[in-house]
Amino acid sequence: MAAVDVTNRGALPNPDVGTYEEVNRDILKVLGRPGKGWWMLFGIAAAGVGLFLACWFWQIYKGIGVSGLNAPVGWGVYITTFVFWVGIAHSGTLISAILFLFRAPWRQAIYRASEAMTVFAVMTAGLFPLIHVGRVWHAYWLIPYPNDRFLWPNFRSPLVWDVFAITTYFTVSAVFFYLGTIPDLAAARDHARGLRKRFYQVISLGWRGTDREWHHFSKAYIYLAALATPLVLSVHSVVSWDFAMAIVPGWHTTIFAPYFVAGAIFSGVALVITLAVPMRKFFGLEKYLTVKHFEAMAKLCMLTSAIVLYAYMTEYFLAWYSGEPPERGSFWNRVFGHYWWANWIMLTCNGLVPLMLWFRRVRRSISALFVISIFINIGMWFERYVIIVTSLSHEYEPWAWGLYRPSIVEMGILIGSFCWFGFWFLLFTRLLPPVAIAEMKEVVPPPMRGKETES
Amino acid sequence: MSGGFERRDFLKVLGVTGAGAAVTGCRTEEVERLIPYVTPPEEITPGVATWYASTCGECASGCGVRVRTREGRAVMVEGNPDHPVSAGGLCSRGVSALQGLYNADRIAAPLRAGADGFEAIGWEEAIELLASRLGSGGRSIFLTGRKGPTESGLLDGFVEAVGGRRVVHDALDDAALRTAVNIAFGVNALPRYDIGAARFLVSFGADFLETWLSPVKFAADFARMHGVENGEKGRFVFVGPRLSLTGQNADEWIPARAGAETAVALAVAGELVRRGGDAGPYNDAVSGYGLEDAAEAAGVEAEALSALADHFAEGDALALGPGLAGNHQAATAANLAVLILNSAAGSLGSTLHIDAAPDAEASSYGDLAGAIAQMRAGNYGVAVVSGTNPAYTLPPAAGFGDAFGAVPFKVAFATTMDETAAMADLVLPDAHPLESWGDSRPAPGTYAVRQPAMRPVPLFDSRPMADVLLDSGQRLGHDFGAATFRDYLRGAFDRWLADEGMRAGLAGDPNRLWRTALRTGSVSHVDLSDKVTALQPPVTAVDFDAPGVPGAGQNGEGELTLLVYPSSRFGDGTHANRPWLQELPDPVSKVMWHSWVEMNPATAERLGLRQGDVVTLATAEGSVEVPVWAYPGIREDVVAIAMGGGHTDYGQFANGNGVNPMGLLPAAMDGDSGALSLLAGGATITATGAWQRLVTNEGSSDQDDRNVTPAVALSALGHAEEEEHAEGGHGQLRELQEMGGFQPVDTEGRAEDFPLPGSDFGAYSEDHPRWAMAMDLDKCTGCSACITACQAENNIPWVHENQAAIGREMHWLRLERYYETVDASHSGPVDIRFMPMLCQHCNNAPCEPVCPVFAAYHTPDGLNAQAYNRCVGTRYCANNCPYKVRVFNWYRYTQDPSDGGNIPEPMNWQFNPDVTVRNNGVMEKCTFCVQRIREAQNRAAVEGREVRDGEIHTACQSVCPADVITFGNIKDHDSRVAALAGDERTYRVLDALINTQPAVHYLKKVTHHDVEEAGH
Repeated sequence: MAAVDVTNRGALPNPDVGTYEEVNRDILKVLGRPGKGWWMLFGIAAAGVGLFLACWFWQIYKGIGVSGLNAPVGWGVYITTFVFWVGIAHSGTLISAILFLFRAPWRQAIYRASEAMTVFAVMTAGLFPLIHVGRVWHAYWLIPYPNDRFLWPNFRSPLVWDVFAITTYFTVSAVFFYLGTIPDLAAARDHARGLRKRFYQVISLGWRGTDREWHHFSKAYIYLAALATPLVLSVHSVVSWDFAMAIVPGWHTTIFAPYFVAGAIFSGVALVITLAVPMRKFFGLEKYLTVKHFEAMAKLCMLTSAIVLYAYMTEYFLAWYSGEPPERGSFWNRVFGHYWWANWIMLTCNGLVPLMLWFRRVRRSISALFVISIFINIGMWFERYVIIVTSLSHEYEPWAWGLYRPSIVEMGILIGSFCWFGFWFLLFTRLLPPVAIAEMKEVVPPPMRGKETES
Repeated sequence: MSGGFERRDFLKVLGVTGAGAAVTGCRTEEVERLIPYVTPPEEITPGVATWYASTCGECASGCGVRVRTREGRAVMVEGNPDHPVSAGGLCSRGVSALQGLYNADRIAAPLRAGADGFEAIGWEEAIELLASRLGSGGRSIFLTGRKGPTESGLLDGFVEAVGGRRVVHDALDDAALRTAVNIAFGVNALPRYDIGAARFLVSFGADFLETWLSPVKFAADFARMHGVENGEKGRFVFVGPRLSLTGQNADEWIPARAGAETAVALAVAGELVRRGGDAGPYNDAVSGYGLEDAAEAAGVEAEALSALADHFAEGDALALGPGLAGNHQAATAANLAVLILNSAAGSLGSTLHIDAAPDAEASSYGDLAGAIAQMRAGNYGVAVVSGTNPAYTLPPAAGFGDAFGAVPFKVAFATTMDETAAMADLVLPDAHPLESWGDSRPAPGTYAVRQPAMRPVPLFDSRPMADVLLDSGQRLGHDFGAATFRDYLRGAFDRWLADEGMRAGLAGDPNRLWRTALRTGSVSHVDLSDKVTALQPPVTAVDFDAPGVPGAGQNGEGELTLLVYPSSRFGDGTHANRPWLQELPDPVSKVMWHSWVEMNPATAERLGLRQGDVVTLATAEGSVEVPVWAYPGIREDVVAIAMGGGHTDYGQFANGNGVNPMGLLPAAMDGDSGALSLLAGGATITATGAWQRLVTNEGSSDQDDRNVTPAVALSALGHAEEEEHAEGGHGQLRELQEMGGFQPVDTEGRAEDFPLPGSDFGAYSEDHPRWAMAMDLDKCTGCSACITACQAENNIPWVHENQAAIGREMHWLRLERYYETVDASHSGPVDIRFMPMLCQHCNNAPCEPVCPVFAAYHTPDGLNAQAYNRCVGTRYCANNCPYKVRVFNWYRYTQDPSDGGNIPEPMNWQFNPDVTVRNNGVMEKCTFCVQRIREAQNRAAVEGREVRDGEIHTACQSVCPADVITFGNIKDHDSRVAALAGDERTYRVLDALINTQPAVHYLKKVTHHDVEEAGH
């Protein structure tokens, strides 16, 4: 292990970066004129958003029947994707809030991107319940609002809890994200010209970088980090209760909340890796996103992968141990039934492939991590698919067992959701500093008279 | 603030946008103009149903129905409890009469064939044309189905007057049985089977619960005979190559080879004669038949046959069959053999009666074959077709098409176009039975009337055939004594009274009796004296040893015998254009919308086929491509296919669905009776390489240790305590309970149990009843009439093949069928369990707490209700329903096709105005027919009394022929449902596992053999 100077507010000292100016220059460069590659990606994303909206409007016009859903599988790709994006949304707050509170030495370089990811992932996830319901024009009935018929939502329904959990999480993480960006927006404002300058002037809220401002900023940041921390645990717990509160064999289990939270962190960190690798390359941020950062994220993946794998095994064991035919049947069906392939994709991607991370060489290989992270993304999507679809397809009544196959519209919306997410993320890379300038400066050795920093 | 946005402007904008949102939000509530009656019709009270007693016209059985009309439209057909034969039951086909009435494919005006197809003409012109052709077009031939006696009499008179010949053709008529009865007893009538009086019943292949003779009556009788009562229960053995639905109800199956019924029946009869039975003039003939030889011929064990003889020897036995399914070229001999067996077993006069009035409406393929030859020879100038469709129901080899086409002028009376009518020169839109007059004599001494329940559907300019005949008869100068068929029928009733009724003691003013008939559906006098009680010496010699089944190589190259059987949904195909029936899972295969070929799994394996593999099924006559359905209830050397598919010219719901197996059959018949043989030998099966997902609602026919439909052995009845102990959950659960752990709430149906602990979240109330249902699975035959009745009552749409294929059918009630014991390789017990599964209206309903908007909620009287208007469509309730009885509106199924729906005008006229028509995106489910509950409660409130027990009949209950379903208030100690809920056989599905406390109480099936319950 390289010697680390932990006195530096927990930050990982970065030998490649020399001065504050360099930080400003390197990072704000990203906000400059976009290249061809960016435009191409943006074009694809925008087209995907078009596809997304077209599929959705078609579904609203024709009916939810354009999906492949049926009886008994009333939830399918939409809810799978919903849970997937909610899971993704976890890493941002985890990295920015929890790791901030714990002073983890590697978060500075990646937390801005992962926070942005959080906000956009919640924005994506939040659409799916709307896409999923049969009468989206009445979806607002889930919100408690005063009305002259005294009709309220059913506060016993986990779906209503979802409404609160997701909206709270979105609000807090959006505010947290925005607050953390303000000093950087000011830096961007100072560099920008013309219309962009006006834009940054408005959204940086007149930040001047005075001591007083920094003082308040730090306090607010800590406060919000403390507020956001429990949400990391609560949101996905609540989402998991959508399943655990139901009596469907394969859903009805107390392990779901911790299992889902671990899975969420697992998938979230994996997506951070997936996004950080190309970002690092295209924007020339190698100096800021170093192998050490990636290795730290890989270790987090290792841990959560082990938790998730343990949860899988616990589920199998308890299904067997319960002795209940429906419970046993459900898990037998998961592993050997019609959807065996989905289950094995899940086990391979989430359990076996991440075992490679136990090798230090793999953890320190950016390209290997990139590939593994994609496996994990796929695996975690399939985990939700397996939980939702196989359980529903094989419940108590054997006569009512059935199969489900996603329709083209569902696939369009699934692909479109990635584009929708990418659309916002690409805009983010051009409009907001993708790496926290202010915090990176904490990494840079403070300019001291005539002294060089030790390596 | 001059340039700013002022408060008033803000409010204006807000108002306009708000109004806009409100207007667009009201899309689903269309504004319709209401037009009041200027002079209200006397019989119609808006909002109150009017019921008409009538006679079902869907098949020749003539069951009694009650037609519910609202504001002059028929909306529901139910069984008529006052009817002496059907006694309140009805079948799916009977209920589907409504879809015949409002069928979108009905012919709207008389049609004349022109150069470019049919052109509509007026009735005046049409009748003039008909009369002139009948008067001067040469000899005429009338091909008709079996009609009611009076209409038949009119037809015969008319045919005689215009100079012609009438041939009756009904593909479902058992001509061989008629001939055999004639030979055995010298009577031209059908026997009257008293299944209810039998203790031992054998069917030699007759599907008496599906299509044979009078299935609704038989189902009721069978339930009486076979349902357990006071610890006793009749035994039913099925002998034949394929378990039909009837066979699935058997206690034992002797999988005899096709065509071996004669040998088996005679051998058993011979054994009985040897033991002292009497087969009259046939004593000598049967003594030559031994059990060993018969067992050899049938490919079954001799012990099984000797056990059969033992049971027969115990008395109170009845043998039925062989019925239509599997009719072969020696069908008369087989029928006669079964009659001889009945005689040897002493059933004549006890369970088998020959007391019916002579029935002239016999029909056989033989008669028609003769007519075909004459038509081809050009002996007829005019052909009139009504109520029969030989172009579809006959094998093409019979040559009907060419012969019929050769007749210069062809007239068809039809409600919808069919394959025969499509060839006609003049098509006259006939009135539907629900719009016309008629009658039937369903039992000795009984006169049942058919009366119109509504005026003809105004979209279709139809006229009853009988009226058209009377009209054209008048133009030709023939007088039949009446201007309309109603008057003619009234005269016929008086004549019947004078001839039969009065003489037998039916006293009274004819007008009063007629009104009684109109009010109750029938008048009858009891006249059940047996006319014949012993076998008569045969007038015609019958060769019992003639081979009935063509051998290998005779009809084709293959090894397999093809068996064509009447469909319990479509009959001979007549009912194929009804979406309710198309989407009704076939009671045996559970397949919807398309055809399938049944074969034993072992056969399929031998041929390397999987379920759903599309195969070419070929005989020497032709071939069809059809998917395989693997069925353990069929012999390995037989494949079977149902009638009724593959229509080409019958309407939008029938055309192109499935295949017509008649094209595989040779035009061969039974020599004695002229009955068409429904068997072909030498069938081959070759895979096409294609595969299709069978459109079925069957998830698994294996209970997979869940004990959803447990059974109890007859010998174990009365030992309920031990039974319960053995079943109260598996070991661990019991351990837990002993330590005070998980305790399922003990409902046991006692009135004082309500409201139940743990169910305090639902809005239960002390002051309200608790509606509950009991279903006796020992009686349920799986006929599925309840499903169609539910669909008719509750405005449940059909979803078409592509939607049903992915599990989106909307039935609120389904019939699960689990195999426990079915083995075609040897004789032995059969245990196939049926379970009607509907919303269980749980006290502790899992669907309710998960609904985010309270769309699923509990009413004070315990109903698990669904507020459609409140439903957002999250489908969480359906996920959480362990019984999977909730169905979702994936599209606008209930709307007109122009609006993306499935229900074309005027089929929506059938909608029950008491039930909400659901739209896109909402969940729905069984309501326990809450509209009927409320109607009864309102009536009771108006009359100042409580609702009486048994006053409320749910729709499923109102057609069930076997009296499986009981509905009532379980809080009432004296109610029938409370008594049944406390029965020792009663259980509640999954209750012990998940504590749902269902309100549907199932009574276990009772088996003659010991039951091994897996799991628990």
